[in-house]
Amino acid sequence: MRILNAVLRTVRNSGRLATGLVILAVMVLLALLSPLIVQWIGGGTDPIEVAAYEKWLVPSGDHVLGTDQFGRDVLAMVLSALSVSLQIGAIAGVISTVVGVVVAFVAGYKGGWIDNVLSTFTGILLVIPTFPLLIALSAYAKNVSLFQVGVMISIFSWPFAAKTIRSQVLSLRSRPYVDLARVSKARDLEIITTELLPNLLPFIGVGFASSALGAIFGLVGLEVIGLGPGGVIDLGQIIFNAINTGALTLGAWPMFVVPIVLLTLLFAALNMINIGLEEVYNPRLRGVAGE
Amino acid sequence: MSTEKVIELREVQQRFHARGTPDGYLTAVADASFRLDAEPPQVVSLVGQSGSGKSTIARNVLGLQKPTAGTITYGGKDIFKLNRTEYDEYRRNVQPVFQDPYSIFNPFYRVDRVLWKAVKKFSLASTREAGEALIEESLQAVSLDPGRVLGRYPHQLSGGQRQRIMLARIHMLRPAFVIADEPVSMLDAQIRKLFLDILLDFQREHGMTTLFITHDLSTVYYLGGQVMVITKGEIVERGPVAEVMHTPSHPYTRLLLDSIPQPDPDARWTTRITVNESAATPPTDTATEATPII
Ligand SMILES: Nc1ncnc2c1ncn2[C@@H]1O[C@H](COP(=O)(O)OP(=O)(O)OP(=O)(O)O)[C@@H](O)[C@H]1O
Ligand SMILES: [Mg+2]
Repeated sequence: MRILNAVLRTVRNSGRLATGLVILAVMVLLALLSPLIVQWIGGGTDPIEVAAYEKWLVPSGDHVLGTDQFGRDVLAMVLSALSVSLQIGAIAGVISTVVGVVVAFVAGYKGGWIDNVLSTFTGILLVIPTFPLLIALSAYAKNVSLFQVGVMISIFSWPFAAKTIRSQVLSLRSRPYVDLARVSKARDLEIITTELLPNLLPFIGVGFASSALGAIFGLVGLEVIGLGPGGVIDLGQIIFNAINTGALTLGAWPMFVVPIVLLTLLFAALNMINIGLEEVYNPRLRGVAGE
Repeated sequence: MSTEKVIELREVQQRFHARGTPDGYLTAVADASFRLDAEPPQVVSLVGQSGSGKSTIARNVLGLQKPTAGTITYGGKDIFKLNRTEYDEYRRNVQPVFQDPYSIFNPFYRVDRVLWKAVKKFSLASTREAGEALIEESLQAVSLDPGRVLGRYPHQLSGGQRQRIMLARIHMLRPAFVIADEPVSMLDAQIRKLFLDILLDFQREHGMTTLFITHDLSTVYYLGGQVMVITKGEIVERGPVAEVMHTPSHPYTRLLLDSIPQPDPDARWTTRITVNESAATPPTDTATEATPII
């Protein structure tokens, strides 16, 4: 309840944050409803089945975005792919954030050699060029599940979350209210969860949004150059497909443009959330805006 | 409990890693030895300029920072090696009031939480009603109207109100020792006097011994009792306030005494004016709160 209030207060303080959240909410809603919409488009049959319709149909009333080289309905495919992209973002975001938060707290709160070891490790992962590594990994990943792809990508995105949060833990742990909690016999875990964590929520939000964004675009990057793991069809896969088949020259432009528009919107939304959160919780403004 | 309530520091030294110093260390406390007795209740002031190591000593005594060398004992036992019951006893009896009344509250919670935490962690009340009664009684003991502070967020209260909530917490816990690290340096003159009077009341009525840390000699004067003068991490002079003030033996104490403004009427008049200005600034009027209720 208290956390909900804090969230509402934060949102009210930033138009950018609100806009980002609304766009994201609409996309999530679309993704959630995608099975129903796909069913409705198919009207009894599966519109994503190979040869469900004639191939390379141009956009019309029946097929708003046309069909692809296998005669699949593009709108239905794009909606399912959006859902897949978002799920991968969510999986990678959650894993990265949880790992990042745990590492950041252990390192930032305990300090000393533990911090040195963990920070060095995080630092190394941060500077490793992850893209080639992802390419190498996905070469082995044929027919992997959506969840596996999310896990694979989060291996490389948690250090970003960890780094942001650790610096915040460092600045928060020397606050007098932490000392007061300690002389009030609060234990480390209690201090972390009740004194530090609530104040870190915005940074955890930023960590989540950035790693989700990183994961979605990392995968799109892999797909577009044709090196994505097989088995999952996300927005990047459709873009790759469009490029590969020369869809643009065949008049099937929605196959290329719509996924890109969706990704751009997603990018904008997640970034607006990031910037909005930072805006509201900027240390310099905290005295004014924070509570 | 049978443990004798005595805090004793023996040759406490605190160093920190620091860049830019010849040996890579900064010595915040060079060699501090002193003893605080609960009986008789008294005020012991620790006075010194900024950076002399006062807060570091406070954090050492509170067990928040383990000194590099030397020992700190409570009831004859090293405070960093206490067993469970000894630790509880020590925590209950050695409690702080910190300098900054703003950052002492977690901005995420209402101010009540600090008081309820004390009630729960130290089992001060067995029922919710008893806890509420205790909180109200303690707020009244520090001249706060419970109805005006409870349920508020920290930023909705003035610095003086917040600092007195910390005193109310002390009132609830009744520790044998209060470690007060510049508790009035951010308060205006009226609230400052009120705060010091409450502290003196606590000493008389509840038998609390206070280690009062300050850089301001006039506060030391006002409180009386014993005083220790610290400079560059070393305690250079100690004794009854009157004695140290009248016949200082260390050059640094003389320097400190010389820097007190002379008590001429004009000087006092200027401070008055600044006081009135600062009293008018806070959103919640501290001046009206200053008159004791009851
Ligand atoms: N955690 C720390 N790490 C490094 N240096 C520290 C730390 N705590 C204190 N110091 C240094 O130790 C010295 C003494 O600091 P301390 O806070 O004890 O001084 P003080 O007498 O309380 O000063 P003030 O009157 O300004 O509060 C200072 O030079 C300070 O920079
Ligand atoms: Mg200090």
